[in-house]
Amino acid sequence: MRPVANGSSRASGEVPWRLVIELQHVTKLYPASGRPALDDVSTEIDKGEFVFLIGSSGSGKSTFLRLLLKEDDPTRGTVVVNGKTLNTMSKWQVPKLRRTMGCVFQDFRLLRNRTVAENVAFALEVINKPHRTIKRVVPEVLEMVGLEGKAARLPHELSGGEQQRVAIARAFVNRPLVLLADEPTGNLDPETSEGIMLLLERINRTGTTVIMATHDYHIVDSMRRRVIELNGGQITRDQTRGVYGVGR
Amino acid sequence: MRVNFVLSEVATGLRRNLTMTVAMILTTAISLGLMGTGLLIAGMISDMKEIYYDKVQVSIFLADDVTDEQRSAIEAQLSDSPEVAAYIYESKEEAYERFRQQFSQQPELVENTPPDALPESFRVELVNPERYPVVAEQFPNGQNGVDQVRDEGDFLDRLFSLLNGARNATIAVAVVQALAALLLISNTIQLAAFNRRNETNIMRLVGASRWYTQLPFILEAALAGLIGALLAVGGLVLTKVLFVDKTLAGPIKAGIIPPVDWGAIATIAPVIAAAGVGLAAVAAYVTLRLYVRL
Repeated sequence: MRPVANGSSRASGEVPWRLVIELQHVTKLYPASGRPALDDVSTEIDKGEFVFLIGSSGSGKSTFLRLLLKEDDPTRGTVVVNGKTLNTMSKWQVPKLRRTMGCVFQDFRLLRNRTVAENVAFALEVINKPHRTIKRVVPEVLEMVGLEGKAARLPHELSGGEQQRVAIARAFVNRPLVLLADEPTGNLDPETSEGIMLLLERINRTGTTVIMATHDYHIVDSMRRRVIELNGGQITRDQTRGVYGVGR
Repeated sequence: MRVNFVLSEVATGLRRNLTMTVAMILTTAISLGLMGTGLLIAGMISDMKEIYYDKVQVSIFLADDVTDEQRSAIEAQLSDSPEVAAYIYESKEEAYERFRQQFSQQPELVENTPPDALPESFRVELVNPERYPVVAEQFPNGQNGVDQVRDEGDFLDRLFSLLNGARNATIAVAVVQALAALLLISNTIQLAAFNRRNETNIMRLVGASRWYTQLPFILEAALAGLIGALLAVGGLVLTKVLFVDKTLAGPIKAGIIPPVDWGAIATIAPVIAAAGVGLAAVAAYVTLRLYVRL
């Protein structure tokens, strides 16, 4: 099972339906590189967990997240998300999978020629949500992320922190089971980052599982949540209430 | 599917790559126009075959010094022969009249031909055109008032092989143009996909269906194909009005060349439109599958 480092051990024998993510002996090789990006990785993440994914650049964090989205398939091993085995999932089912996952990135990835509200609405429009629903939920989620009154702004009229809030609103507006955040505070100053973390925590409290890849040890240390550390494609640490570096 | 969304994406896409879109439309139009021309020529050839092959297969030209007895003997032989389906007699005057009509565009040729220079003849339609040698044998050249027996089918074969060649050449150029059009469509779609990679990436991540992501691009190509087809049909109409109906008016009137009627163009137009839209859409779809990650 999960290796236990210097934190409290995790309860074993979870009921399977509580698992939202499961990796079994997952190895990912990229053709161009001799060293595996992930090397026999096995782990489980429960519904409603908040997990930090840490490790240096090239340790396999991004590959980990890509496999969960089925942007890539593992070379060996099994990836299960919300009870569905991604290895055997057909291409046509992938959109359905992604509707249950929200994504946030370091570079926000907003549409520059659309307003804040339009950016959030876009995520719903392209999955055919009815107009009525969109009209109702977009203001709700903008209020939740603290952007009420900025719905008509364009992204470049906002600060970095505000842009990331738009991105989070877009990722969360469809109430995903899992929110994947790849270095969401990577471009933000510490104070702004703290605000973003409070927001992610709030989203986590609604029952959404949050998986966040990060280099920001201040954040990891202050949050005291589960930490999975990757090193050279292997999990070298998995702690329930972890800090960024051992002995820091 | 949200129609407004898809249509606005299509409009934006076409506007953003205006130069490529114009190039794509023009090549498509030229290719489809040539294809239409090829089809019209093919239709004309089959019309002409009907006109010519049905009317005349064998001409029996009579000698200048043919006697009335010889003439009636030949006629009797024709009307008794089981090989002959029908025949008509053409006098010197009738032959001259037909000649004048055929060459009305070349008056100097008509002026320099005396009215009695053309021989009188029997125009014979055979039951089976391939039995020509058997019939020719019955009317030896230079005997019994017969000057010469000629297989008009032979001449027509050469004429039609020329016309077929023209048709094939037109279609060959159309195919080469179509290839260029397909490559341009593929290129334009790749460019459009690159221009909109932010949108499509986000669509992919939030779980938009493949169709939702791809449809704007495919419609974009199909619309360009349709515009190209409309231009091609316009080109055919102009060709008919400005070239065929004016320059070829004489031979058409004389019944040498069948006219290009509006019905033929109306029949070909939907074929061209379907080919334009279909090929463009398929090219776009294949491009998206092969080169673009959506």
